[in-house]
Amino acid sequence: MTRISLGGAILRGTVSTALMVSLTSASALGAPVDLSKWSPQYVRSIAGTQDFDTAADCAKVTPLDYKGRLTFWYQGVFEGDPDLLRQYYKDFFATFRKTYPNIQLEEQALTYNDLLDKFRTALLGNAAPMAVRLQILGGTEFASKGYLQPLKPEDVGYATEDFWPGAMKAVTWEDVTYGIPTNNETMAFIWNADIFKRAGLDPDKAPATWDDVVKYSKQIHDKLGIAGYGLVARKNAGNTPYRFMPQLWAYGGGVFDEATADPTYKEVKLDSPQSKAALQASYDMYVRDKSVPVSALTNQQADNQPLFLAGQLGMMISHPSDYDVMLDLQKKATDTDKEKAQTVIDNMRYGLIPTGPDGKRAVVFGGSNIHILKPEYVEGGKVDEPAAKAIICMWTSPEWSLKMAYAGSNPGNLNGFKTKWMKERLDNIKFLDVTTSMLPYGIPFPALPQSPEIMNIIIPDMLQNALTGAMTVEQAADDAAKKVKELMDGGL
Amino acid sequence: MTILTGKAEVTRRLQPDGSGVLRKIWEHRADYAYVLPAIAVMLIVIAYPIYYTIELSLFNTPPGLQLRDKIFVGLDNYTAILKSPVFWTVTSNTLIWTAGSTFISFVLGFACALALHRDFAGRAILRAVLIIPWVISAVAASYIWKWIYHSDFGIIGAVLVGLGLSDRPPNFIDSVSTVLPSLIVVNIWREFPFAMIMMMAGLQTVPDQLLRAAKVDGANAWQRFWHVTFPHLRNVSTVTILLLAVANFNSFIIPWIMTGGGPSNASHIWITHIYELAFGRQRWGVASAYSVLLFLILMSLGYFYVRALSGNEQKDGSE
Repeated sequence: MTRISLGGAILRGTVSTALMVSLTSASALGAPVDLSKWSPQYVRSIAGTQDFDTAADCAKVTPLDYKGRLTFWYQGVFEGDPDLLRQYYKDFFATFRKTYPNIQLEEQALTYNDLLDKFRTALLGNAAPMAVRLQILGGTEFASKGYLQPLKPEDVGYATEDFWPGAMKAVTWEDVTYGIPTNNETMAFIWNADIFKRAGLDPDKAPATWDDVVKYSKQIHDKLGIAGYGLVARKNAGNTPYRFMPQLWAYGGGVFDEATADPTYKEVKLDSPQSKAALQASYDMYVRDKSVPVSALTNQQADNQPLFLAGQLGMMISHPSDYDVMLDLQKKATDTDKEKAQTVIDNMRYGLIPTGPDGKRAVVFGGSNIHILKPEYVEGGKVDEPAAKAIICMWTSPEWSLKMAYAGSNPGNLNGFKTKWMKERLDNIKFLDVTTSMLPYGIPFPALPQSPEIMNIIIPDMLQNALTGAMTVEQAADDAAKKVKELMDGGL
Repeated sequence: MTILTGKAEVTRRLQPDGSGVLRKIWEHRADYAYVLPAIAVMLIVIAYPIYYTIELSLFNTPPGLQLRDKIFVGLDNYTAILKSPVFWTVTSNTLIWTAGSTFISFVLGFACALALHRDFAGRAILRAVLIIPWVISAVAASYIWKWIYHSDFGIIGAVLVGLGLSDRPPNFIDSVSTVLPSLIVVNIWREFPFAMIMMMAGLQTVPDQLLRAAKVDGANAWQRFWHVTFPHLRNVSTVTILLLAVANFNSFIIPWIMTGGGPSNASHIWITHIYELAFGRQRWGVASAYSVLLFLILMSLGYFYVRALSGNEQKDGSE
């Protein structure tokens, strides 16, 4: 049995438990998706079973000879993404221009951390693009303020049931749908088997719980003098909530009750004993054990990647695409560094994100959504709706929602799993099963206009206050809870 | 002749009586006509934003509402700022950042200017090398220094650990106690060449005959500097310090790129805090109130700058 298949066996063994838990606990998924079937095996069984003709499908929405002009901003690739993804983005826009030669497309890529600020500024000056692809965190804020036009999958030729219900929640405000999911991501736990072995840990066994992560991180650091876990606590960076919230939810905490089946977002729970336990775990790793990167407070995941490749980091949470990122980075290495990097790549292992003390497992149900703006906020005061629908139809098609998520996440359109590209992807992208296995544990960020501030500022602030000693763990959690309450009350 | 008289009568009627401001404006109406387009542009690009900022500072802008739906709160934003503990942290950081960066940049720049004022082999090359930090963009400098300081990859940490002087790479920008001084070092590195250039220009104006006369009178090097050179550079020093102080008070790029104001607000200065309030948290009202206060502070610094410049001009004129 190879190491990979061993990892796969461990994974398959945990999937049944995952599905059981997902059926009984909070998850991003609702009734329209048959959870009893959803597993890596099921995904493999449906991959390549259906053909789709994207151009023909989108022609029904916007004729292929349509003449128009479209301004479009999108959350594009950033420094931590693999080259493979960059190529797919290039291919998408080339294909769109070829399919719709008479639409004058002016697209602008922005990184995750810049997009919200720039988009807000553009909206204030009525200079927004006609269509935008935003991170899942932003949609509710802009919908609640009335910037977005109602837009549902049916408007571009698909059915609402073709998309994850959890993802649809993030584009729904006061029962109106304002966008369509392009992709959905659930991250995985990645570790270096060689480091585990040298630290006296089982190289093929991921830490089962977050308490184990703390313990393993210390053991790795004490024995090898390197960082154990890739903690990330930078402010105003999407990486931080994507890594801390799974920990918070696993311990039974939350900002509100977003981890429950029917969240109301009424009661703030950041100061609950469970939330404090999660914060304490981070404190223990950073302050008590000093077993995580010293630079965690200014780090993004892109800083953890080279540390991991250099064999200086034992564990981290990331996308399946990190395997491809490591291959890209390894190609750029020279001499002995190249060999060292290959050793790390050979020892990369993917597993499910650890559980909390009560067996609760969670991951952020992330991704992006695509929206059309109201004309009064758009530069020039006009929106070319057919042109906007053309690009939205293409991006959210089974073909492109799969290709644009090829290495990093999952297609927003569930039919993407049935395409031949999914079949090819399953063969080419290592550890993809882990990501699909994590989907049932996905918890969306609270669908509130205040969520970007909570996730990008208040949560990282809480972490920084505790980890720098500016506040105790207790004080930092209480302070964050107070800030959320004030924010929800509309305070200054 | 009759026609000419008529013109004179019309002119006399339009002309304001007395010797007030209106009369002066009338007398210089052609001058004002020339600057009128510039004044109009200034009103649009400067006066209106200032007015709008003051107006916004009197409103609350909750995250769930559009800016146009803002709620009038009077002076609440100002009182909220003064009651906020973050205000005092940010103000203290700003004062340390501005004073530290300005003073040390000036002293270092002045020292380098004095050294480079002498004639020695390689002076031109050294002068060019010392100017490099100033010509590098602040964004590039921030990234370079971020990597130099990086606690896990940084060269300083690697050297210290390699030499056995430290078990673990130091926390330069990830620690509350060291982040601000670390950023000030970067700022000084970028700014001292500006002070150096200003002071080198000032040194060119110190009359040689005075220095020679002082030497003949038995003054040593320090006495010549203190009693001849330095008084001559008083005005250029004032202007340089004021320009540095205004630039530092307004400085955004280095702290924002290197730390984003963190960790735990330890490197947040006014301008980065305002940016975060406005663009990150959409507290346009509070951010505007901060901006109004910042505007008043910078205006007072500007007043001293203009006064220093006027002093220079008067002195130059009398000479």
